[in-house]
This record gives sequence, structure tokens and C-alpha cells, in this order.
Amino acid sequence: MIEVKNLSKRYGENMALSHVSFSVGENTVVGFLGPNGAGKSTTMNIITGYISASEGSVAIDGFNTLDDPNEAKKRIGYMPEIPPLYVDMTVKEYLNFVYELKKVTLPREKHLREICALVRITDVYNRLIANLSKGYRQRVGLAQALIGNPPVLILDEPTVGLDPKQIIEVRNLIKNLGKNHTVILSSHILPEVQAVADRIIIVNRGRLVADGTPFELEHGGQSGEQKLVVRLEGASREVEQALKSIHGVLAVRNFGQKEPGVCEYEIDGRGGTDLRRPLFGIAAKRSWPILSMTSSELSLEDVFLRLTGSTYLSDNAGKDSERTGGKR
Amino acid sequence: MKAIAKKELKAYFLSPIGYVFTGVMLLLFGFFYTQVLLYQSSDYIPDVYSSIFTWIMMILLPIITMRTFSEEIRTKSDQGLLTAPVGVLSIVFGKFLAAFLTFAAALTASLVPAVIITFFSAPDWPKILCTFLGSLLCGAALIAIGNFISSLTQSQIVAAIGTFGITMMLLLVGQLSSSISNTALQNLVNWISFDSRYQPFTKGIFNLSSVVFFLSVVAVFAFLTARKLESRRWG
Repeated sequence: MIEVKNLSKRYGENMALSHVSFSVGENTVVGFLGPNGAGKSTTMNIITGYISASEGSVAIDGFNTLDDPNEAKKRIGYMPEIPPLYVDMTVKEYLNFVYELKKVTLPREKHLREICALVRITDVYNRLIANLSKGYRQRVGLAQALIGNPPVLILDEPTVGLDPKQIIEVRNLIKNLGKNHTVILSSHILPEVQAVADRIIIVNRGRLVADGTPFELEHGGQSGEQKLVVRLEGASREVEQALKSIHGVLAVRNFGQKEPGVCEYEIDGRGGTDLRRPLFGIAAKRSWPILSMTSSELSLEDVFLRLTGSTYLSDNAGKDSERTGGKR
Repeated sequence: MKAIAKKELKAYFLSPIGYVFTGVMLLLFGFFYTQVLLYQSSDYIPDVYSSIFTWIMMILLPIITMRTFSEEIRTKSDQGLLTAPVGVLSIVFGKFLAAFLTFAAALTASLVPAVIITFFSAPDWPKILCTFLGSLLCGAALIAIGNFISSLTQSQIVAAIGTFGITMMLLLVGQLSSSISNTALQNLVNWISFDSRYQPFTKGIFNLSSVVFFLSVVAVFAFLTARKLESRRWG
């Protein structure tokens, strides 16, 4: 449905996007993930034809966005980061305008009513957009993207500014839309993407750094280590030594005393070996009560931080100083 | 194009801009029509358009063109337009049409006093209508220029003042021509002077070259505006 080939975008010296390629099939929800300024919005703006790429091409349903812009755009519903609303119109006027702008041929009354019900803006249908709260504006922006029922939906941070209840509603809505639409949504909130996406694409500094299902990302691309965090009651030095003697243990770290006589240890084990049973055996033999044992798997969050690396923190620091520098 | 023109027309008359524009324009016309009545001759009606008109264009047209694109760029609503399945030219012409219709409506309303005078006198209607047509064409050209300037900036104030400056230059530059000794320069000044293109209409002369000139200005600036809007794709 969406074919992105070798996309690059240069702003002078600055490479906003370099050689990004991916393709998305029908009826999938793709989460586009990355720290601020990673190139998410740039990619989306290029796919929707708002800006052009310096290199590379985008095809929607086989229509190249440069050769057949109108055919490609007809198939896309786009909700930019800032919804393109006209605040001096009512929701009704605005949606009717978008309906006419997109030259939609579906029965107007019915189509608009359905969309309003879907994104829950029926109760503000006759209100001025200027008087709507951020959450409602965001949903009007979503409604605007849905008009004409385009097969591809591009949503740039669709849940920003919504309250927790609305966030869940919108996520469910996106999940449902994903059943018969191709959806790309961007976010820098991991759990959100994890909750709705069938597939995750991670970008950092304009480069595509990972592409796969949430499961693949969590389980692949790592060295296969496993980690256990255990609380054991017993003399810490002996315990440490005993733990190190278990077959397959690579390292043991003592996190110190957490309860009287109880220390917490982190055990790194080689992949493929289950440390829990031998651990129990040793503890039982020495009568060291195990007070807790958790295996800490690499979460998507760890994957994300690992992939985007230390640049994540330094990038954000740079941004903050830029902001205080008074730059717009 | 129709959807955009409709939306823009609505925007003019949902905000005070459309009313202020029409109201002030008719007020100024009313003032000059009063003078016609004082002279007690309907022959002066075309003069209303020739003398006052340049001032109306200068001061009032920037008001309706300043927001056309600046506002969209500032609020980023242009993203909605440019990602919709419509060509850039139809966006530009939609906006142009709305501004032009607003202007044309106000200008048509300004003929009401002339109609009333017809009941008491016999004004030279062909001449008045020729003047009216000239005003429409000249206004259309200036609106196209104003829209272009509006597409250059996110600030409505900058767009308004810029348009005001350019419009003033185009309308008044002709006054310099008599004091220019270099004939080539003088010809150039006369060529771009909107006023010297417009004045023949007020004398009842339908000047085809002026019609072509004004329509060409509309076309050229519509084209430039479309290029400007597209330029961000190449930036």
C-alpha cells in the first residue's frame, strides 16, 4: 500500500532524513517511533506530499506522489501534528469544507454523521472550533483525516493533548481502523505504539534503526542475555560466591541490603539457560530463603533507548537550550 | 477551487474584515458622490471612480488580501490544503476568486447612488459601466499581487504593509513620468503604471491593451503564488 524508497531530505547542510526505505502492506498499523526531531514528521510530510524529498520516492497504492499527486493524495487521510483547523468555523462548516475540498462522493449527511460518532464530536458539531478544547480539536483533526474514507491514514501524534480516557478511546479507534485501513502513526510514547501497532519502525537522527513487530524488537536484536533480580536472605559474600558458581552465570551484582539480612542481586545469565531452577537448588541447600525473584526481560523501552542510544538525552538537552535561547 | 472560494468568502463575512472593507469603501464612495450632487451634474460620476478609486485600492485592497495565505501559513492550516487532492493553482484561484468577489460586490454596491441619480438625471451609463469594468480589472490585478505578497510571509501586518507599498507605487508611479527625461525609462514607468492603464476607462475608452495587461498581471501573479506555495516542497 505504501512504498517508501530511499527517502532523504536535506535542509542545507542538515540531513533531516537519510535513505529511509520501508513498505507497508494493507490493513496494518505501523507505529513510527523516535525521539523528538528524529525525522518522524518529515517522513510523514513527504509521504502526504506536503514537502518533497531531496532523494527517493513514495508510492501510495502504486501512485507515485510526484507523478500522480492527486491520485496519491486521494488515498491518504492526513492528520498533521497541528490539525489544520480554521478556528472561525464551526465543526459542521469545517467538516463540510473538507468534504468538498476532497471532492468526496459518499452521501454527505450520512458520512459526516458516522465520522462524528466515530471520533465522538457529535456533541460539539455546531460549536465554533475556536471554543473547543485541545482534545476536541485533536479529534476534529482526526475526523478531517477520515473524511472520504481513504485507505491510508497518516496520523502524526494523534493522542497529544488528550486526557487518559480519550487516549484509550483514540487508541481503540485506531486499532479498529487498522482492520480495514493502512495506518501509520507517529509517537514518542512507547506504550502507545506498543498498544496499537502491528509493526514498529524506529527512526533516530533521520535514519531507520529498527523495523519489526513489537515481539521481534523485544526478542531480537539483543545478545540473548537474560537477567534475574533476586532477593535472598543470607550472608552476602557467601551468597554472591554461590550464585557465581551456578553454571551459565556471567556476572552477579550486589545491589546492597534491602531488608535486614536481605540483599538484592542482579544475575546476568547466558542466553538459553534457565537459571531459576539451579538458583532454587542452591538456596534450598543452604536454607537461604528466596524472598523475590523477577526476570527482567529487555522491554521495548530498553530496545528503544539502546537503539536511539545516548543521543536521545543529548538531543533533548540541545533542544532545551535552543528553546531558552529564544529561537522559535 | 469552488470549495476554497466558498470557504474564503465565508471567512470574509464571518469575520469583521468583509464588513469593514465594504462599509469603508461605500463610505468613501458616498463622500465623493456627495460632491457629484453638489456639482449638480451626473457627468462627474466617472470622476468619482477615477479620483477616489486609486485611494480605495491603495488603502482597502491590502485588507482583503493580507490574510489569504499568511494566516494559513501561520496556523499551519495550509498543510490541510496542500495535502488535499487539489492542484496548487486551484487553491490560488479559489482564494483569488473569493477576494475578487468581495471586492466586486462592494464595487457593485457603489453603483447604487448612480442608479438613484438616473431617476432625476440622465447619466452617461456606457461611460460609467466602462469605468466600472476598468475598476474591476485593475482591482483584480492588485488582488493577485496582494495574494502573492501574502504568500511570502506569515505576518498579516507585513503582508498588508507590503501590499500597500507596492499598490501605492504602481498607482502613483505614473505621476513621475512627466519629470523623467530618459525616454526609455519614461516608457517603462508608463508601461507599469496602473493608473495610466486605468484612466482611459474613466473617459469611456475601452482599451483592449489595458484589459490584456491587467489580466496578464492576474495570471502572472497567480502563477508566482502557486510556485511560492510549492517552493516549500523543494526547500
